[in-house]
Amino acid sequence: MSRFLTIFYRLAYLAVQVIAITFITFVMVRMIPGDPARLSLGPLVSDEAVEAVRDEMRLNEPIISQYLYWAQNALKGDLGQSWVNNSSVTDEMIARIPVTLELIMLAMTVVVLVLVPLAILSAQEGKGLLQRIFRRIAFGYGMLAGALPDFVLGLLLILLFYTHLDWLPGPEGRLSFLDTEPPVVTGFILIDTLLAGDFKAFRSAITHLVMPVFVLAFVYGAPVFKMMRSQMETSLSAEYTTYGRVVGLKPLKVSLRAARAAAAPTIVIAGVIVTFLLGGAVLVESVFNFAGLGQFAVQSIVSADYASIQAFVSFAAVMTVLVYALVDFLHWALDPRVRN
Amino acid sequence: MRIVALMHFVRRLAALAAWQKVFLGLFVVIILLTFFGPQIGPYDPIKADPSNRLAPPTLTHPLGADDNGMDILSRILASPQVDVTIAVLATLISVVIGTPLGLVIAKLERRNSRFARGAADSCMRLLEVLQAFPVFVFAMVLVAIAGGSILNIIAAVAFVNVPIFVRLARSEASSLLGMPFVEAARAIGNNELQINFRHLLPNIIPTITVQISVTIGFAVLLTAGLSFVGAGVKPPTPELGSMIAQGSKYILLGQWWVVVYPAFTLGIIVFTFAVVGDILRDLLRPVTSDRNDIEAALANERTTQQLLSSSYQNSSVSPLLEIRGLSVAPERAHDRRILTGIDFKIHPGERVAIIGESGSGKTMLARSILRILPPGLHITDGKCLFCGRDIAELSDDELRKLRSKKLAAVLPNAKSQLYPLTTVMQSFVAVMQAHERLPYSEARKRCVELLRMVGINDPEERLRAYPHELSGGMAQRICLAIALMYRPRLLICDEPTQGLDVTIQRQVLDTMVAMTHETGSALLIITGDLGIAAHYADRVLVMQNGRFVEENTCADFFAAPQVTYSRLLLQAVKN
Repeated sequence: MSRFLTIFYRLAYLAVQVIAITFITFVMVRMIPGDPARLSLGPLVSDEAVEAVRDEMRLNEPIISQYLYWAQNALKGDLGQSWVNNSSVTDEMIARIPVTLELIMLAMTVVVLVLVPLAILSAQEGKGLLQRIFRRIAFGYGMLAGALPDFVLGLLLILLFYTHLDWLPGPEGRLSFLDTEPPVVTGFILIDTLLAGDFKAFRSAITHLVMPVFVLAFVYGAPVFKMMRSQMETSLSAEYTTYGRVVGLKPLKVSLRAARAAAAPTIVIAGVIVTFLLGGAVLVESVFNFAGLGQFAVQSIVSADYASIQAFVSFAAVMTVLVYALVDFLHWALDPRVRN
Repeated sequence: MRIVALMHFVRRLAALAAWQKVFLGLFVVIILLTFFGPQIGPYDPIKADPSNRLAPPTLTHPLGADDNGMDILSRILASPQVDVTIAVLATLISVVIGTPLGLVIAKLERRNSRFARGAADSCMRLLEVLQAFPVFVFAMVLVAIAGGSILNIIAAVAFVNVPIFVRLARSEASSLLGMPFVEAARAIGNNELQINFRHLLPNIIPTITVQISVTIGFAVLLTAGLSFVGAGVKPPTPELGSMIAQGSKYILLGQWWVVVYPAFTLGIIVFTFAVVGDILRDLLRPVTSDRNDIEAALANERTTQQLLSSSYQNSSVSPLLEIRGLSVAPERAHDRRILTGIDFKIHPGERVAIIGESGSGKTMLARSILRILPPGLHITDGKCLFCGRDIAELSDDELRKLRSKKLAAVLPNAKSQLYPLTTVMQSFVAVMQAHERLPYSEARKRCVELLRMVGINDPEERLRAYPHELSGGMAQRICLAIALMYRPRLLICDEPTQGLDVTIQRQVLDTMVAMTHETGSALLIITGDLGIAAHYADRVLVMQNGRFVEENTCADFFAAPQVTYSRLLLQAVKN
């Protein structure tokens, strides 16, 4: 029973966080200089007409009621209109969220499938050749990952693999000009091309994703890698590991137990990284011309597009608190010691 | 004291690896460029020269020219004055705001008043909400609100980094506030202000310093990123992010120099600050004496006492365990032996106690027999023969199969031996699965029996528990049950009652001896407690500084110990 209560409290706290975050965002966005009504109508329209639009947009009311109005609409799925291209922000978000989520999810998959095993292997004791090689790789990666900012790494990869070697497509978005866009079903390009049965476009989508996903995984996976490695070293030298050997557990079982113990704190870091990836995607999407949330954010900030900024920042922040809540639940599931 | 600290600092500085020294050098270069960079370059860093547009690297323009014909080398040399200055100022602002705030929160949390704790708590919650915004996007919005002047960029970068320092200062301060020296300072009449400035601040500074270096690197990256997407420093100011953005158009056409050199410079700057952070952590680490020094001191203390010939010899039956001339030493220092020429035998069903003060090598002897010596230690001489075979020469798999089945052990601190993330039941099942295949229901039945055997009355409930929910005595009984699962030939108990209170000690030991009697296991008890040896062992071996100094029957040992060391041990108990 107390476990349900804990989960309930955590979810209630999540709701409070979401409200606080969207409100702070709202206040922040309203502080951006410029009059949205004037901006949307242009400099030639009369002051009376602007005033009328201000009323319509409820800009003359106190900020709390403006926020409540926004929240009410947001709950109905209406995030407002972009004054820049007069389109629905909701539609724009729906088109762009899958692009960014696909990048983030693929990057996290690479982190989990490549970097975490590398961390586990390089943390093993022993003087074998293989162990020494893994330790070298781990050391080199730890050094490099700290040195290369994401957009710099992206540009260098383009220079090498596109401009010079021409092995991979250049920064032209998710598909090349010659590919036909698949009909949008899920918004995830890998799934949509497969659903459309267009294997040529599917292959093309993969080649376009290689570099951005690599950059995100390489740069943002480093903290996960370092945490997993140091935790793995700790749990391999813990008493329960020695004891596991003493009672005759198989070596694989001993390693798995150590890895599970190392995973619990690593998941906390991984959660933080997922939220960092949202910010990181901004730069990497710019570099590779992916029409995702990142580019959307940059454009809307540069053009002071209130509704869009509000939508993006709220989305990012809400995602963050959601991921943190998920991390807490996972941590509870993995480690009985934090359950109470 | 300060001179000593300085000497330690210098000694550690000299002991750095060559590559670390290179980065310290680079650090100095970056700082110098921050001050003098714009003056050093061969050209004016913001003077356009259309005739040189996109000139490739040549002797006149060693790193080429950009699309305005500006000399890239001069711009790169001038760039730290923008990037590093913004980052350093922003970080200092974050420190100046964040650290005191963290200290205040830590102090409020320790107040008795509910209001103070509530205030601290809501501060932390607010911080959590602020940290939910992705740093980069947050900074971008702040710049959009305030406008893209350099001062505003500094303010935005500073603002997003404040939470890092608040958290760091808070966690450092609250662990320090729990330390005895703060209590002591308060007790001898220091007021709160003195405690803050004399006792807390100096102890927090090293951690903060390290974080400052790391954060400056991060702030350089943030500034460059903002400028890269056009929400930061605008061209033609020589700033790395905007230089890279400017050049990224030309990368597809093969005019790489416009991007590559600034990118490389940015990488070096960010990395240098990160490495310097690591170096500072090493340099500022509190001074503690090295482990080697302790070992050396121990080695000097070691007396070369004559080993008395043992009076007890068990003859005819072949021994279960036979240790012949065993010596253990660190791999790098063979002369500093931990164990020296250990000889003894244990026969089937026999109960032997090894006694001696802590640090005499008893545990290392047990670990040598179990082949779980800590890394860095190894057997230099001698053999451990178990059932006639040298344990060191068994393959990993042969040894694994012997374990639990024939050779079992109970180690000190049972609670930390059990795997913390699974239930007691799963700990049992793991051992069973390692040695046999059996259905779950059968395993469960056997677990219940085993727990009843070691005197646990509510086995079903205990099997569902996690190790952290058990008492020390309960955990010890469970370890004992695991050890006796397969009726091993030899049970090694290292400090089996450490951390248990006296009544529980008796119960656990009685159970242990009764069980080994029933299973016919031989018992090797390692203990610092002479009472346990007297009560439960047939034979006593006395260890001092890694050697046996006496081997005797239990009765004779307590009646008439043969060497001075044994007499001293006995006397210590009597007093």
